Order: sequence, then structure tokens, then C-alpha cells
Amino acid sequence: MDRILIVDDDVELCRLLAERLSPEGFVIEAVHDGPRGLERALSKEHALVVLDLMLPGMGGLDVLRRLRAQSPVPVLILTARGEDVERILGLEIGADDYVPKPFNPRELIARMRAILRRTAHVATPASPLVAGDLRLDPAAREVWLGDVLLKLTSVEFTLLELFLREAGRILTREHLTEAVLGRKLGPFDRVIDVHVSNVRRKLGPAQGGERIKAVRGSGYLFVARSETK
Amino acid sequence: MKLPIRSLFLKIFLWFWATVIATGIALILTFILQPRSVPSRWHATLMETARYSGAIAVEEAERGGASAASAYIERIERETHLQTCLFDLAGSLIAGNGCESFQGMISHVMASKMSDFDMRYGIARVALPLQGSSGHEYIFATQLPAGPRAALGINRAAIALQWGVALLVSGFICYLLTRYLTTPILRLREASQQLAAGDLSTRAAAGMERRHDELGDLVRDFNAMASRIEDLVSRQRQLISDVSHELRSPLARLNVALDLGRERKGDDPAFDHMEQDIGLLSEMIGRLLTLARLDTSAAPVPMTPLDLTELVSQVVRNADFESRERDGRVRLTAHERYFVRGNAELLHSAIENIIRNAVRYTKSGTPVDVILECQNRSNVSFAQLTVRDYGSGVPESELAHIFQPFYRVADARDRQSGGAGLGLAIADRVIRIHGGTIRAENIKPSGLQVEVLLPSWRSKGDFHKE
Repeated sequence: MDRILIVDDDVELCRLLAERLSPEGFVIEAVHDGPRGLERALSKEHALVVLDLMLPGMGGLDVLRRLRAQSPVPVLILTARGEDVERILGLEIGADDYVPKPFNPRELIARMRAILRRTAHVATPASPLVAGDLRLDPAAREVWLGDVLLKLTSVEFTLLELFLREAGRILTREHLTEAVLGRKLGPFDRVIDVHVSNVRRKLGPAQGGERIKAVRGSGYLFVARSETK
Repeated sequence: MKLPIRSLFLKIFLWFWATVIATGIALILTFILQPRSVPSRWHATLMETARYSGAIAVEEAERGGASAASAYIERIERETHLQTCLFDLAGSLIAGNGCESFQGMISHVMASKMSDFDMRYGIARVALPLQGSSGHEYIFATQLPAGPRAALGINRAAIALQWGVALLVSGFICYLLTRYLTTPILRLREASQQLAAGDLSTRAAAGMERRHDELGDLVRDFNAMASRIEDLVSRQRQLISDVSHELRSPLARLNVALDLGRERKGDDPAFDHMEQDIGLLSEMIGRLLTLARLDTSAAPVPMTPLDLTELVSQVVRNADFESRERDGRVRLTAHERYFVRGNAELLHSAIENIIRNAVRYTKSGTPVDVILECQNRSNVSFAQLTVRDYGSGVPESELAHIFQPFYRVADARDRQSGGAGLGLAIADRVIRIHGGTIRAENIKPSGLQVEVLLPSWRSKGDFHKE
């Protein structure tokens, strides 16, 4: 039973969603304003937060920004189209994925499952992955750059882990979307690109140049540097 | 200041100038055409002058004979270019050249013993009897300057110069006056053009509002009108955006409720119908929002270089796949790769809308032709996309309206054929945002052709260097 927090000011929609989601094995808690949503999201009681961007009191983006300062809990944002800029901003701030409103509940459930599958996935205690000054510890879910602990969201962690395991090979955007977000790449779907750029930004440049290279027309590549250090 | 070859400017300028010149000519003509109307004080002065020169000529003649008189008269003619002659009382010439023109006046003086006066082309001619100190009588005839030519003299170069100056000065004044009148009108025209082109924040220059004449009133009225239009349009757009947005909440609930119903009652064709209509509503609202966003265009659309050929062939592949179900085809002809600068998502939806529209209206069993080619218009290179169907076309009178939201051609194209009537409206906005043009025309014997021109973006080589 996964506990899900839904933050949406549409009370009736929350009630219907709770009714629809509980047979699927989700326990739903719904709150209807920003400040209360942030407070509950920080309680560490939930496996996933579903966050609407249009909220009274405190906007969804503000809630997300403050939440990310303290918690890596997965966040799925709900957006009405016409808020494209906010959608991208939401992903940059650290949301895992987004679902446009009005949504098909089955689509929402599929996205939630994909995120939960990834975070629940407990890797068999594996040895840390190392690339130059970068060290990723799958067991502790920690990433160290030199002696600095990086703050990555869970989706960013999974992405980086994938890059490190496949270092030196080109990973297509389709493959990355399926492996990290658990769904097919849609048309004009830039979600995976925003996540990659977030990871890049947090890692900063390596001594020899970019760590993650974009390969035009195909995907991304983590540059293996066996020659450095 | 723009080149003043605008019709109103030219008209006002020429009329003013013509008026000034005509007035001048009329004034001169009055002098020339009224030969005997020399004012009496001028008359007296002229007679006095003639009598004075005449007395000298007579004196010269009595003292030194005809040759002395001739010398004097030649001197007068040399210095003043005025014809002067001296006769005896019998009318025979003593001194002077070319004196035949005075013959009539001389006869008159001989008959009446009175002086004679004549005026022609601004030149006065006087003939008068004189008595010398010896008691001999003579007749003296001379030309004298009077009227305008009196002032100007009779030097042709001087006349040309003075006419030239007069023309220049009057022309310059007319130019200034005309500019003063027409500049605000031109500015106002520019402002209204910008307003018509969609820049609703345009106002006529504040400087012109301060004029206290009728043009100032016009500018103030124009600005008031522009504000009102801007206000109305922005409120209407906001309304569309708000309404669409508010419609989404119940639609989202409806979606969940429908799904709940399915879970409980199992599959039912009624649920499928509901889902289809919810989908349609949702799509329409999405398009309305897109349209509202494109119309308000508060934020600039992010644009990147993109491969138009690739984008079009993607759309064609999908449309072709779907239209095969109805025995149709969508055929693409593209000779090379064309690149444009644009927003992939918007361009994709615009081109998809145009092609789907063609697929919808082409007669069943007929294809839709999509042609991508290069066009050069006044040194700018464009990518031209032509989409042609073999349907019944659109009545000529309605061609201009098919890019308006919710516009539907009255006959044949019924709601049953699907779509919300927003596709071409969106395409139109998107293409214009990309600096392109879109137009539709009927093709003989049947069918509609939509033609899109998009500014080309450099060559393929440059694209890969990026």
C-alpha cells in the first residue's frame, strides 16, 4: 500500500481520485492549499506527491521549490495546458514528471506506478560506481563529487546511475525515458532533456570538459575518462 | 521625414503653389491689359519727365543742329533702352532711330496741337509739341517705363532672376505649409497601419496630441479609439482563456467519474461514446487555449533551427496511414531538405491541421498532394509548402474567412466530419508568428489548395555547424 499525497484545490476531483485509486492499492491523502500541502509533503509519510500547479495560498511551483530544499520525495505535477513555461520550470525545480489536465485516470495511474517502481527498486547491494572524482553509492543512494555530497532527486539519481553503468555508450532519449520515467517518449516530450540538464548542472564541468555530451539526433553520452586520474 | 511623394502632400502643395503663382500672374496681367489706366499722378510725372528730356533735345538741336540732337537721343537710348525721337512740326524726323512706331501719335499731335499718351506692355509712350528758345516748334516722342516693368527694368537676366527667386520663395513657403498639414496625417496613417497589423498598443505620437487644431482633435480621438479597441480585444482574449481554463476542472472530474463508472459497470458502448466526446471537448479547449495564447502572445515563442522536410514527412506519414482507411493517400513531393527557424511543436500542429483538413475534405478515393519547394521572393528565400485536395473547394466569397476561428463553410462541410473549426485558425496564427504567410485558393477543376510560405533558414551546411 503506497501512501500518496494529492495537493489540488479541486475538492471534488480529489474525492473522485481517492475513490478511483484506492482499488488500485493506493492510500490517498488529499489537501487543498499550498502551505498545508508543503507541510504534509515534508512529513516523509508519502511515497509520492501529486501536485497541482494552480493552488491558492502558495503556488505549486513555490511548494515544489521549498519541498526540494529539504526532501527528495518524488513529485508528479498536474498542469493545465497553457502553462508550458511553468511545466518546464516545475521539471527544472525537481519534479519527476508531469501529467496535463484533464487527464485520463489510467494514464495518471501508469505514471504513478512508473515512478514508484523506480524508487521502490532496491538494487542488490552493489559496489559504488566511480568515474574520476564522481562516486555513486547505490546502496546508500548517495552521490559524492570529491568530498561533497550532491543533492539529487530520485529521478536524477536513477538517471546518473544509468549513465555511470553505461559510461561511454550513447543512450537514446527513447531508452532514457523508458528506463528512468517508465513510459514511452511522447512527441515534443522534453522531460528527459530537462532531467539531463539538471544532472549536468549539479555535477558541474569536469576537468576535461563536459561530463554528459548531447549527441545530435540520437541521445546522450556519459564521457568515460579512464585516462584521467 | 519620408519622401513627400504622397498624393495628398503633392496635391496640397501643388494647389497652394499654383494659387500663389496664378495670383502673381493675374497681378501682372492687370497692368499689361489695362493700357490707359495709369494713375493720374503717374501720368503727370511721366509727362513732366518727357517734357524735361524733350526740352534738352530741342535745345541741343537748336544749338548744334540735328547731329547734336542725335547724339543726345542715342545716349538716352544707350542708357535706358527707351526709344526716343525728335520731329519738326511738319512731322519729318530730325533725330532718332526706328521712329515709325510713333507715326500715329505724331499725326495726332500735328492735328490737335495737343500731347498724346499711349501705354502698351507696361511701357508708356508720350508725344508732345515743344517750342524751342528760337521760337521753332518741334514734336518730341519718347518711351517711358511705367507699371511693373518700370520697377524691374527691362533687363531679361534680371527678370529671370527675380522670377526664379519668387518661385523659390513661394515654393518653399508652400512646402512648409503642406508639410505642416500632411505630416500628422501620415503619422496617423502609420499608427493605424500598425494597429491594423495587430500591434494594439500603438498610439499616435504624444507630441501631436498637443496641437490645438482639428488635427490634434483627430489624433486624440484616434488614441482614444485605439485604447478602447485594445481594452476590448484583450478582455475578449482573457475571457476565452479563462473560460477554457475553467472548463478543464469539470472535464477532469468527468474523466475520473467516467473511469470509475467503467470500473464498476464494466465496458459499455455508452462509456465509449462519452469518452470520445470528452476527448473532443478536451481537444477543443486545448486548441482554444493555444489560440488565445498565440493571439495574446505575451511571451515570445522559443524558436530553434529545424528540419522542415523531416517535420512535414512525419506529419505526412501519420496522415497517410490514417487516410488509407478511407481509400485515400497523402503524397509528399520534396526535392531537398529545407530548414526554418521555428517552434517544432507549433509548426507541427499547424502543418498537421492543414493536412488533416485536406484529408477530411478530399473526395473519398482521391489523394492529398503535399509539395515542399523553394521560392525566392525579392531576394529572400522561402520554403513553400503546398497542400492540395481534390474535394469540392470553398466558395470564392468565403475563401478569406476560412482562417477565422469556428468558421465553417455553410454547405457540405458539416460538423459530422469532425474537428472544431479551429485547425486552420491555429495554423494561420502559427505561420504568422514564424514570419510566414498562408493563403488558400480554389483549383480547377476541383479542390482547395493551401499555400504556406516560411522564411528559409540558412543552408544545411550551416545547420550542422551549429
